[in-house]
Amino acid sequence: MIEIEGLEKRYGAVHAVQGVSFRADDGKITGLLGPNGAGKTTTLRMLSSLVQPDAGRALVDGIDVRREPRQALRRLGMLPDSRGLYPRLTGREHLAYFGGLQGLGAPEIEQRTRELAELLDMTELLDRRVAGFSQGERTKVAIARALVHGPPNIVLDEATNGLDVMSTRAMRTVIRKLADSGCCVLFSSHVMQEVSALCDRIVVFARGKVVSDGTPAELRARTGEDNLENAFVKIIGTDVGLE
Amino acid sequence: MIRLVLFKELVDHWRDLRSVTGSLVLAVMGPLLLFGLFQIVQNLEKERPLDVPVVGAEQAPHLIQHLVANGVHVLPPPPDPEALVRKGDADMVLVIDDHYAERYKASQLARVRLIVDDSRNESHKNVRRVERILLGYTQGLGALRLMARGVSPQAATPLALEELDLATPQKLAANLLSMVPLFLMLAALVGGMNLAIDSTAGERERGSLEPLLLNPVSRRSLVLGKWLATAFASMIVALLTLVGLTLTIQHLPLEQLGMKVALGPKEAGLILAALLPLTLFGAAVQMLIATFARSFKEAQTYLGLLNLVPMVPAMFLMMGSTQNAWWMYPLPTVAQVTVVVSVLRGDVIPGWQLLVIALSSLLYSALCVVVIERLLGRERIIFGR
Repeated sequence: MIEIEGLEKRYGAVHAVQGVSFRADDGKITGLLGPNGAGKTTTLRMLSSLVQPDAGRALVDGIDVRREPRQALRRLGMLPDSRGLYPRLTGREHLAYFGGLQGLGAPEIEQRTRELAELLDMTELLDRRVAGFSQGERTKVAIARALVHGPPNIVLDEATNGLDVMSTRAMRTVIRKLADSGCCVLFSSHVMQEVSALCDRIVVFARGKVVSDGTPAELRARTGEDNLENAFVKIIGTDVGLE
Repeated sequence: MIRLVLFKELVDHWRDLRSVTGSLVLAVMGPLLLFGLFQIVQNLEKERPLDVPVVGAEQAPHLIQHLVANGVHVLPPPPDPEALVRKGDADMVLVIDDHYAERYKASQLARVRLIVDDSRNESHKNVRRVERILLGYTQGLGALRLMARGVSPQAATPLALEELDLATPQKLAANLLSMVPLFLMLAALVGGMNLAIDSTAGERERGSLEPLLLNPVSRRSLVLGKWLATAFASMIVALLTLVGLTLTIQHLPLEQLGMKVALGPKEAGLILAALLPLTLFGAAVQMLIATFARSFKEAQTYLGLLNLVPMVPAMFLMMGSTQNAWWMYPLPTVAQVTVVVSVLRGDVIPGWQLLVIALSSLLYSALCVVVIERLLGRERIIFGR
């Protein structure tokens, strides 16, 4: 479970995140929807302990990220905004490195590698160097790397960015499987379709604030729109920065 | 964790063929350059045969005798002397005037002409030698004639010019050997340069720094692993260069030049003991600078300049051989040049000097590591500016 309580972050005159609070439950896919620059990525960076909030706190399974970052990171698998790989290493070596950094032993890493390769359909990527990979293949390796320690909480920042239709559909299936296995999945995107197709609960961001929070049905009822996309536009007040 | 990071960075670096071959080429280049320059110096020393075609030799048997006695190899006259010199087939041609014999007998001014090509550097030395031999002949003959007339030859020679040539091969060889400390220090810095950049500025540029920091590992472990990997790469290149230089110097004919350079396994070991701390410190400084740099390219520019730093103490110590002082040992690069020069000279290196070098470098490295660790906690460094 991920809890965000009153997070604030200022960069000079820019008030990037203004008192953001929401919760993501286990076994559910929680979507963060908002235009680019709405504060989603900054919020996730505060959740991952790399950015210090000016106020508020982020909890992972009840662990305060700021107080015990390493404990929290063990329970968190995050695909961040930047997801660079090491071009000269193979897929398997990426998983071995990150698994090792997470404290897994060699047999565990081997087993997780097999499981993730099956889950993400990337067996043939394991023993090739990353240098020649396509965007979709890279994303698969990056996600596998984030999940190598089997974290109960999974955060995906724009996971389907740059993926083709087939890969996007496959990714949706994977995310659904992860939630069904009991994981807490937090899925951030600026693509309305992605969020509406996937999420059990949607937190809508605009200009550094949470402007709406609820199930798709609740959002539709609240705005009086039958169509979820129209509901979003109504909530945010504009469709600039959305797709 | 440190070992895991160290191992990953080394594997990653080892597969970077371009930068690995680059640093290996450097390790081979120093010794090769030294060897090549030595061959050139040696060739300079070998004298060109003093071949001089002479036109009209029959006019001046006494002069020819003098030339032959002074080592000149007198050749028969060529059909076209000027063309011969212009083409460079002969350094010079000596032309004896048609009236030489009669004028010589009458104690009149007898003419000889030396045809030379002044634009040919390689012939200068021989031309000068022949000129001196001719001058010696005319002075000796003049003195005899003066004495025959009862005049002291000294009255006609107010000046006695002597020249002492200091450009001995020993001197040139010594200058070449003073490049050795510079090669060694360059090797100790260049070997890990790419790894230092790749694991800091490169890590951020390719976007793998953020995922890396999302692991429950202390920043210190990450920095230490990367630092040791960088230092290790530098050590390999420094070691290869040292072995190469040692073998080269052992095979150079220094004895023939009257030089004594002590460089056996024991001396190489002493030099290595001074170099290893520099690789550790160099790696830490390179990483620190590369962490600040905004991009891979920027880091390369900065570190390229950093590599020039050791040239300063090297030059100073090469030119003026100042006394070794205590303050040199805690100064990286200055300390290494001092030790290398002392070892080559055959001086004893006291253990405390090596200890001071090692401890000071470790201290500076630790400071750098702590600073890098702090930097990796800053948003501006993690996410770029």
